[in-house]
Amino acid sequence: MSPTSTKDELRGRFTRWIVITAQNAQKNYLRIEDKRPKTVSIDEIDLPVTDTLMSEAGAISGSFDFAEQHLADAFRELPLMRRRILELLFVDELSPTEIAQKLHCSVQHVYNQRSLAIKRLRERLIKEREK
Amino acid sequence: MTNIEFRAILEAAISGDREALDTLLSLYMPLINRLSSYAGRLDEDCRQYILLHIVQHISEFHI
Repeated sequence: MSPTSTKDELRGRFTRWIVITAQNAQKNYLRIEDKRPKTVSIDEIDLPVTDTLMSEAGAISGSFDFAEQHLADAFRELPLMRRRILELLFVDELSPTEIAQKLHCSVQHVYNQRSLAIKRLRERLIKEREK
Repeated sequence: MTNIEFRAILEAAISGDREALDTLLSLYMPLINRLSSYAGRLDEDCRQYILLHIVQHISEFHI
């Protein structure tokens, strides 16, 4: 086999690998998406319906939970990797060691990212409260 | 890009070189964008998920 064809073979093989890997990731993503509850933007709902829903929610919980909304907003602003680590820790309830294996990073990195993320969330929530 | 350059970039990307990884992924962005688009709309979350998956598994590719 000539050297050129060996290199061509490498490029072709990598392209096939990346196509398969990306397709698998896409399938995983769609599966996770399917499991998520369907949501509709509040802007797409007719106003009278929204009013009813809001008054019902108010009747049940007393008032809208702003703290929870602020937490969700703050969470969305975290960098992707930190968000992912927090999700794995608190939603999937994995241990830092399992997360380190899954994300190919050190256990210390998981601990560091967790402290940084929690610190950021705390700062953000305190700032919101002072407003 | 010549095949020799491609091999160098691939080897560097697999061994963890960020810049090489960026170059390599940009070569395949049209494919990744196509897989992340539904009804003509690009799903940014899906694209990010695919990219993350590739980056996490690229070291498993044997040259």
